Amino acid sequence: MIITNNLSKNYGGQTALDSLNLSVKTGEIYCLLGANGAGKTTTINLLLGFIEPSSGSAFINQLNVHENPKATKRFLAYIPENLMLYPSLSALENLDYFSGIAGKKISASDLEVFLNEAGLQPEAFNKRISTFSKGMRQKVGIAIALAKEAKVLLLDEPTSGLDPKASNEFGLLLQKLRNKGVATLMATHDLFRAKEVATHIGIMKDGNLKQQLVASDITLQELEKAYLQTMEYKALAL
Amino acid sequence: MISKTFLKETKELLREGRVRIAFVVVILLLGVSVWISARQYENVNQQYEIAKTAERAIWDNQGEKNPHSAAHYGTYAFKPKYPLSLVDQGVDKYAGSSIFLEAHNRNEAQFSAATDQTGLARFGDLTPDFILLFIIPLFIILLGYNSFTKEREMGTLTLLKSQGISSWKWMLGKWAALFLPIFCITALLFLIAGFLLNGLENFGVFSWSSLFTLFLVYIAYYIVFTNLVLLISAKTKKSGISLVISLCVWIIACLAAPKAASNIAETKHPYPTRQEFAANVLKDRREGVDGHNPWSKEAKLLEVRVLQEYGVDSLHQLPFNFDAYRMQKGEEHEAEVYLKHYNHLKNQYSKQTQVYRGLAAISPYLPTRFLSMSIAHTDYATHWDFADAAEDYRVATQKFLNDNFAENSNYGDWGYRADASFWKSLPIFEYDPPELDFILSENFSNILILAFWIASSFGLLILFTKTI
Amino acid sequence: MFSYNFKYELKLLLRSRWIQLLSIILLLLFGFSTFNGLQKVEKRKKDIRAAYVEVQENDEKMLKLLDSVERGMEVSVPRWTIPTSPMAVGNYHPRVAAMEPQSMAFIATGQADLFTHYVKPKVSGNDFAMNFAEMTSPVQLLFGSFDLAFVIIYLLPLLIIAFSYDILSAERESGSLRLLAAQPIKIHTWVLQKLGLRFFWLTLLVVCSLTLVFLVTGLNPLGQLGVFFGLLLLTLGYMLFWFSLAFLVNLGVGNSARNAVMLLGLWVAFVLLAPSLLNQMGNTLYPMPSRTLMINEMRNLKAEVTERQDEILDNFLRDHPEYAINDTTQFRGFYHRYMASQRLIKEELSPIVDAYEAQLKERQDWVDQFKWISPAVIVQESLNQMAGTSTQDYENFRKQVVRFAVGWREHFMPFLYNNKNFTQEDYPQLPKFQYETKAYASFATVPILFLISVGLFTIGFLFSGKTKKGELLTSS
Repeated sequence: MIITNNLSKNYGGQTALDSLNLSVKTGEIYCLLGANGAGKTTTINLLLGFIEPSSGSAFINQLNVHENPKATKRFLAYIPENLMLYPSLSALENLDYFSGIAGKKISASDLEVFLNEAGLQPEAFNKRISTFSKGMRQKVGIAIALAKEAKVLLLDEPTSGLDPKASNEFGLLLQKLRNKGVATLMATHDLFRAKEVATHIGIMKDGNLKQQLVASDITLQELEKAYLQTMEYKALAL
Repeated sequence: MISKTFLKETKELLREGRVRIAFVVVILLLGVSVWISARQYENVNQQYEIAKTAERAIWDNQGEKNPHSAAHYGTYAFKPKYPLSLVDQGVDKYAGSSIFLEAHNRNEAQFSAATDQTGLARFGDLTPDFILLFIIPLFIILLGYNSFTKEREMGTLTLLKSQGISSWKWMLGKWAALFLPIFCITALLFLIAGFLLNGLENFGVFSWSSLFTLFLVYIAYYIVFTNLVLLISAKTKKSGISLVISLCVWIIACLAAPKAASNIAETKHPYPTRQEFAANVLKDRREGVDGHNPWSKEAKLLEVRVLQEYGVDSLHQLPFNFDAYRMQKGEEHEAEVYLKHYNHLKNQYSKQTQVYRGLAAISPYLPTRFLSMSIAHTDYATHWDFADAAEDYRVATQKFLNDNFAENSNYGDWGYRADASFWKSLPIFEYDPPELDFILSENFSNILILAFWIASSFGLLILFTKTI
Repeated sequence: MFSYNFKYELKLLLRSRWIQLLSIILLLLFGFSTFNGLQKVEKRKKDIRAAYVEVQENDEKMLKLLDSVERGMEVSVPRWTIPTSPMAVGNYHPRVAAMEPQSMAFIATGQADLFTHYVKPKVSGNDFAMNFAEMTSPVQLLFGSFDLAFVIIYLLPLLIIAFSYDILSAERESGSLRLLAAQPIKIHTWVLQKLGLRFFWLTLLVVCSLTLVFLVTGLNPLGQLGVFFGLLLLTLGYMLFWFSLAFLVNLGVGNSARNAVMLLGLWVAFVLLAPSLLNQMGNTLYPMPSRTLMINEMRNLKAEVTERQDEILDNFLRDHPEYAINDTTQFRGFYHRYMASQRLIKEELSPIVDAYEAQLKERQDWVDQFKWISPAVIVQESLNQMAGTSTQDYENFRKQVVRFAVGWREHFMPFLYNNKNFTQEDYPQLPKFQYETKAYASFATVPILFLISVGLFTIGFLFSGKTKKGELLTSS
């Protein structure tokens, strides 16, 4: 579902992403780990078509993102680090608006089904977003992804700033989506959550994908060790 | 603390593109407007000199003539342009610059520049006062709207607070950083204007002290705006909102309030139309002696009285020409009628002034505008003063001519001709505008209002920044 | 996408209270300015009516006097004001030459506070010395009037700026833009739709509040459907221009504050600076000859003419024998000489006066050429023309009055030179002034205004394709 071929991005001589080769299949949750500036967000921006690659290409559902910016967005849903919706609209209205402009006409009862599925309490459906916590907003974000019947989910630091319970709930939601056949790419700092939800884990540093792991093969301790080793690599090289 | 904040704010301002661009634009506009006004000033004064000497020559060279014919022939009083009009053009464009002085009638100043211009003129002119009154306050808003809100938005506010700053010192540093560039621009403009005027020939009544007072007025105006902008910035949460509110204040103070004031003033205390005014004057004139009408009731009464006073029983026996005497009495009556009606106008205007003063409570622009015009001798009061001086001169001239007529001829002798050299003995019309002290005392309430604006805005600023 | 934008934009505008706030502001501004305009028009009408009444009363007195004189009775008025003398009628019983306000006069004060709306030309005096300037406090002229034109030209653009400066930047700053951009839509189309919707709502509010204000103040907009629609279309064209600028600025990568500053700069440039610069350049390129010097010239001429009065009268009668065709008395008094020399003065001064007219016209033509640099100038001119208070209207009035004054004078010439008395029978034949309005308003400006706006939108679209979307979405 998500494939990148030698995907690279330079900003005025500085390499943000260096020949990334990545593949996330249906029903997989791929977590990208790495320090700030490792190239995680650049990868997501490239997959969203927000920026143009310097070389290489990215594919969503077999479509080249660069060549079909609009078409690829039909298959993907995206939840930014700090998901901001329209504060003066309610959860239902936000969901209706975002799926509406994406070209989906959904009846009011179905909208409620999606919100329900995303784990939002029914009494919150008609409350304004301005009263919502981050976790609740993210649930609306998931509902938007559900309503859109997205095949690909792109997440940028979704669990930062969430309390452990909310973070856990979010992890369960991701599993639910995975069972529906969604391919998820998630950039995060959160090793624990990554080990919990991911099927695959990649560790990035300075724009390079240094290591790829299968989550079920390792323990959390092993993951932490691998991560720290990768990070120190530069210190040793210096 | 104050100097640290000042330096930091100044650095931030200097590093912002919009500030640099705006600075260049303001300086450029000021330069262009000063240049245009200086040219215009020289041009108008040249014409004034030519017209004045030419008119006097016409008067002096009338040749032999009956003094009353000369009175009807009349002469002109021309209003000069004053040096500080270079800074503030005031109402000059809308007030006429020449008054025809003739027998029996008081005329209004004629030929204002505005009547000779297209409708475009009503948008205003690119003159230094336009920049000083409108654009520089906008510039203050542009520089200062985010002075406090940016600290909130960037999150540096909490950091600053944790450093244990004294809020009023912090505020003062910001205030100084915002005010200094404005002070510099204004000082620069006034210095240039001063040297330009000093360099011009026959600069007449130009005085550095007037220029300096004018400078102080504008500085006071900018202090008020600086305070208001900082006050708004301190009280709002977002830069965008601070900008919008500051702009609303600007629109209300500089655009809406003066216009609304002019509408309210006119509705509450209207001027008569020109024709109405003329008709009213005519009505009152008919009730007194008319120099040209020996048959009227008033003329007959006058006759009886004069005969009694001199103890003679025929007008021919009087030691002077009774025709000329009656002419003079008529003139005096007419002058009185005009005085009454013009006083009514002045009365209406002073009532209108009350409206303007009242609305100054919502607009620091109004007291500044009036003070600035007064000091520059381009206000309505100076125009009145000039018109009154011209009227006094007209009345004196009529007396001068009628006396000559009365003393040198007999009753019924309309063929009398005054000597060709006689006209030269009429004193030349001289007009000196009011002195600075007088102007300031006349404008005391405006000064008071402006001072009140400064004091209250400062007070509020200190009060509100305390709780930041 | 459109139907969803439509539905939710309205919800957002209602919940942020924009619509409510705008309605109140618009109603207040339109109401206050219309009220002011109507008051001015009312005063103008009242003044003119009073002038007519005064003339009528005077006429009745004059007819009574004539009646008395014709019946050989003694009258108690100064000899030279007895209306049997044609010059007395011509000087002391002038007609009112009035310029009645047009139906839409209240929308723009224009030059109405500067010029008088009625004069009474007499047989003596010079036409060009006739004072058309109204007696107004110059402070009022300086500040101007709070009329509908002011609201439309100055304030409406500011409302539009406040309403639309952060359409895109606010989404970016709040973070919802990234979510939007992840949807299969074009951001520029989305901005255009949002702006279009705001334009639609503002238009609706403007039209409704204007109509409401008109109805409340007792004006029937349906009564003058043409002019009313002209006013609306012009306003909409002007609004569209500002929306197109807002579109351009919104597409540029900027934060809300920078957008606001930029739009404000454009407002200052178009509304404040461009017109005054244009005016100043017009004045510099086509300077008016000095009025004070004209006075000198006029005085010299008068002095010269006064000396040759007898000669002038002889020449005049030789050139115009028709005036004295029935004269048997050969009596020649003051007025015979005066009228003849006045005519000469007028002829000799006409080149100087024409120079003013020509210069003013050239200046106007020059301004007409360059008025397109600022829509504010176009709208001001068009509104003044609709109101019948433009410079051209007053010029037209002035010309008609001068023509009437000539006719008035000509009417009495045969009486004067034939030494014929004015009688009661001659009264109905006195010329009367009827102001003929000329429509200067041209609706051609409206489509041009729309074209300019559409052009700006197109430019926005063309350039937006080239700007890097990345910057828009990744910088925060």
